[in-house]
Amino acid sequence: MSFLTDNREGIQHLLMGNEAIARGALEAGVNVASGYPGTPSSEIIETLARVSGERNLYVEWSTNEKVALEVAAAASFAKLRSLCAMKQVGMNVASDFLLHLALCGTRGGMVVVTCDDPGALSSSNEGESRHFARMFEIPLLEPGDFQEAKNMAKWAFELSEEIRNVVIVRSVTRVSHASGNVKLGRLSQTQRHAEFKYDDDALETYEGPAESTPVGHKHTLQQEKIKKVAEIFEESPFNTYHGPEKPELLIITSSVCNLYTKEAINLLGVEERVGLLKLGTTWPLPPKLLKRYLSTTDKIMIVEEVLPFLEENIKILAAEQAKEIGAKTFYGKNDGSIPSVGELNPDLVVLALSKILSTGYMAMPSEYKKRFQDSSFVVVPDRGRTFCPGCPHRASFWSIHNALQMDNRKGFVCGDIGCYAMGRLSCGFNTTKTLHAMGSGTGLASGFGKLAKFGMDQPVLAVCGDSTFFHAVMPALVNAVHHNSNITLVVLDNSGTAMTGFQPHPGLTVNAMGEEAPAIDIAKVCEAMGAVVEIRDPFDLEGTRNTLNRLIEKEEGVKVFILRQGCALSPEKRHAKEYDMRIDEALCLGEDCGCNRLCTRIFQCPGLIWDREKNRAMIDEVLCVGCGVCSSICPAEAIKKEEVA
Amino acid sequence: MVETATDRKLEGTVKTGDRNQFRGQKGLQDLVLDANLCTGCGACIGLCPYFRSYRGKTVALFPCTLMTGRCFDFCPKVEVDLDNLSEKFFGRSYDGNPLGSYQTVMISRADEKVGSAAFQAGGTVSAIIYFALKKGYLDGAVLTDRDGLLPIPRFVTNPEDVFTCVSSKYSAAPTLSALNQGIRDGFTQIGVVATPCQVLSTALMRSNPLDDKAFVDPTGLIIGLFCTWALDFRPFEKFVSDRVDIKNITKVDIPPPPSDMMEIYLRGGQKIEIPLEEIRPLVLEGCSYCADMTAEFSDISVGVLEGQPDMNTLIIRTERGRKIVNEAQKEGYLVISDMPAKNLEHLQSAAGNKKRRAVIKAKQEGILSAKILEKITRRSHVISD
Amino acid sequence: MGKTQLSKDPYNMVVTGVGGQGNVMASRVLSNMLIRNGYYVTVGETFGASQRGGSVMSHIRVSAQSVWSPQIPKGRADLIVSLEPVEAIRVLEIYGNQKVKTLTNTRPIYPVGVISGELDYPSIEEIKASVKNLSPTAWFIDATDQAIKLGNPVLGNIIMIGAMSGMGELPLYREDFKEVILDSLPEGNLNVNLKAFDIGASMLRKQDGAVFDVS
Repeated sequence: MSFLTDNREGIQHLLMGNEAIARGALEAGVNVASGYPGTPSSEIIETLARVSGERNLYVEWSTNEKVALEVAAAASFAKLRSLCAMKQVGMNVASDFLLHLALCGTRGGMVVVTCDDPGALSSSNEGESRHFARMFEIPLLEPGDFQEAKNMAKWAFELSEEIRNVVIVRSVTRVSHASGNVKLGRLSQTQRHAEFKYDDDALETYEGPAESTPVGHKHTLQQEKIKKVAEIFEESPFNTYHGPEKPELLIITSSVCNLYTKEAINLLGVEERVGLLKLGTTWPLPPKLLKRYLSTTDKIMIVEEVLPFLEENIKILAAEQAKEIGAKTFYGKNDGSIPSVGELNPDLVVLALSKILSTGYMAMPSEYKKRFQDSSFVVVPDRGRTFCPGCPHRASFWSIHNALQMDNRKGFVCGDIGCYAMGRLSCGFNTTKTLHAMGSGTGLASGFGKLAKFGMDQPVLAVCGDSTFFHAVMPALVNAVHHNSNITLVVLDNSGTAMTGFQPHPGLTVNAMGEEAPAIDIAKVCEAMGAVVEIRDPFDLEGTRNTLNRLIEKEEGVKVFILRQGCALSPEKRHAKEYDMRIDEALCLGEDCGCNRLCTRIFQCPGLIWDREKNRAMIDEVLCVGCGVCSSICPAEAIKKEEVA
Repeated sequence: MVETATDRKLEGTVKTGDRNQFRGQKGLQDLVLDANLCTGCGACIGLCPYFRSYRGKTVALFPCTLMTGRCFDFCPKVEVDLDNLSEKFFGRSYDGNPLGSYQTVMISRADEKVGSAAFQAGGTVSAIIYFALKKGYLDGAVLTDRDGLLPIPRFVTNPEDVFTCVSSKYSAAPTLSALNQGIRDGFTQIGVVATPCQVLSTALMRSNPLDDKAFVDPTGLIIGLFCTWALDFRPFEKFVSDRVDIKNITKVDIPPPPSDMMEIYLRGGQKIEIPLEEIRPLVLEGCSYCADMTAEFSDISVGVLEGQPDMNTLIIRTERGRKIVNEAQKEGYLVISDMPAKNLEHLQSAAGNKKRRAVIKAKQEGILSAKILEKITRRSHVISD
Repeated sequence: MGKTQLSKDPYNMVVTGVGGQGNVMASRVLSNMLIRNGYYVTVGETFGASQRGGSVMSHIRVSAQSVWSPQIPKGRADLIVSLEPVEAIRVLEIYGNQKVKTLTNTRPIYPVGVISGELDYPSIEEIKASVKNLSPTAWFIDATDQAIKLGNPVLGNIIMIGAMSGMGELPLYREDFKEVILDSLPEGNLNVNLKAFDIGASMLRKQDGAVFDVS
């Protein structure tokens, strides 16, 4: 039975952190959920969307995170319970509204879930969103395992309703994308009626107009709420302590670092020497609780990801209470015990802990390590990331790269966020030269395109995906058109938010809940803005290259080139092989003058490999998806394609 | 060893032994493309997927790692052993004559059987190719068509198609890419109409520099066109489009001296003239090092004739050239007569001047080593200073 | 509690492979089979951009006591299951130890650097020698080739799960497999998956001794 509908209390399921959060929201009776896809957060909304019918939810993939937060806030203003999920970069996008929302306050329980990505496993930064909680004065919860992810998500709604303000639940990749046992609670049976009441006084935050003004009044209310939260947190079951009454060292930690630290203590066998205070409520910190534990010892280590957020806030509390609890020695980010770049793991915690406690630890005995030097040990080749076999981006970047080389004026491409961020790698022929936030490629291009008066004569291009186009490219494109910036935007339209798992977006005819939805036509939007628009199938390499060269040649204004071809992993294309591919070995020139392995050395599709013994290219039958593109790059016409019957 | 132009890296710092390491795409990139010596002749286009020509410029799409390659060996702008080529095609070492090796210099024009197309000057080139295709002396011909101002290489098999490519083009054209295509398509008697640098490349290709055992000369006739320079397409197009609508151009011409104008004919019979003074800054850098005006390694070379705009100068260099010219004359496709002595003198002087200008330029820029400059000077009757 | 007791608690398993091989799916199925026997199971994995053509690793930790860190400490793997041969060595270098057992699928997937010619891919004999040197109990099976015979190379990961069941190391039972598959896949796919499972199980069950090579 699916964990989403299983209503047997106490039954255990293996849940991913994100699934646990979704289940917690269902147990809390969430009505509305919104978000924008982003690894590692996407499964929260996806999971809720699966039961939108059965549980009578409204679930949407919004255009971007700020809109998502506004959609969720509307539900809260109408006294429904709502959840809004995003990754860490989304918090930056949503933060403009979040600041106002926190000042205004909420009505129905409202929870923002942010999934940070320490180590940037699937991101172009490792920024963390805990600081928004302190900056905007919002309660912050951090689950330390999967059971807590579920329980905390549920309780966050109750807390939100109690203080009438939004609550942030912060997860990280290793919670969101890890799985573990979760005991279920009961699903909520509460029915809520939506109504936005606004007739009361403007100062009234519950049934008056929903506003962040008057600021002085609202800010005072907000700070009273946060004081109340600190009181509530003093008693929270999400803050736990394990260890001796008077430990030699107190470790304070949160989130998945709790599990790393527990493991490290176990590996070193120092359970009798070390106390572990795991905090689930990390803003505002409960001062009395901390005072109690800080008093137990003089040595404190703080283990967290990524920046010293807990560390700094605990140090402030320790300074305020110094007279009573005495001076402390702190270990953490600031003294270098714990790295403040990248994600942590049990070994990094062991390393720090063994130094402080002067205990020895060896992850791998030296006689085993020695085996790596044995003659039979082979060098393992690096496995660089690449576009999938059949990926339209490989074809698109091939043509973009060749168009720019032929154009011969040192043109360049501003990159953007999606799988096509790999356009900067060899799989994208090192074509993109900038990479920042969603939509920034077009914004940067808009700026570069105005530098002609300072002598810049390089053609300026930008790329963006279809989902990114709606998320943040549109304002940048308006800017470029309005200022007559000379740029070419290539929209890599693969019909979905592919990298995060094919979530629908406004350009498609279906919404998150699987209902039919009006699609917004990117080409028409661009034309309406005043751009010159061309559309092509990127699998037609020479035609694409030709059109692009023609567009780049135009001296004025914004050109939009839409390259339309579905993602090779999309549900529609997966397992649907269009062509059977084979190599005519007699025609293949291999390494000879006239080819020199263009297909394997440069094009580098994983489905096309090099047979070193025969000195010929070869199709990898397992990996090739039969897109047929490679047949049009072979100078000897040795790559044959035949339509699958 | 004598060069048309070469790079100081080759003669100066690179030892002969190391040179072999660069005889592929990398060598071409370093010595020709990056040194701005490329004239976009098209010799390296179509041999492999790496080199492409776009709007007059030759570019490498991706790096090729081979140590040797046809791209390098066929390039007329890297070190060329003129003695070797001269021995091979004319049976004697290179002697520096401003007109190169030749049998006779005549004047000529198309005869009645060719019909009347919008020829440049006497229509000699069109007449000979038309005749040779019609009578089967050639199975295809490499010509240059144009689209607007952009010259487009064309491989022609139908004799009538010759007349669509009649007029002169004044910017660089990758014509030889069409030769490479014709060879790949299996043609074996190909006629080539080409500028001096392109003709030099065909000579390099025909000398089978990579010692391919299966090599058979795929050409039937090489017609060289007199050339003093070619224009860089992109700035030339901009120059012209700032003055006229390119879509309306019907013909571009530079009449023989004493005229010093470029004439652009427009639809509706209008004509505008541009002083050559204004055009010269748009000449390709690579052309200023070229010491060959009359395409010295052709079978026959054709150019304008001073004072007689309806006739051509015709230099016959080889036996196969002479044979086709004679047949064309006999069958009524070509009218030939003797070259007036005064014209020959002027021609030699003009060709000698081009050589001298090239040498001076090379000397100034340090492109040629002193040793090589001395060789060219000693062997050329005309060059005195 | 299961019929097979854990030889260690927590029992640490790494399932490794290349993006697109069905690694995540395999670790899900395994974990769900284990949780049915009353264990705490913690699975750590990454997916999204980190997956595209790169190495993909799932850490599975089985315990009768509690959940554990979703990342296994270095040098602490008890079993490494590799859907691709060189990936086994890559994981052994970090998580290996004198007692670690390995199960390796012998079908290579060449990294782009190898396809382009910049890097070398060792021969399968070299890989086997290296794995045997680092892992005293090493099984090699040609799961992908067997899966191709069944009509779909992706079934290679199910054959690997079957093989793990055949090992007898962990409480992985056919009945649990059947129910997990029924829970997560359309019913029509059950038979071919069971067939793949049985092929894998029979490949290992027959083997005896320290190093097994049935590839």
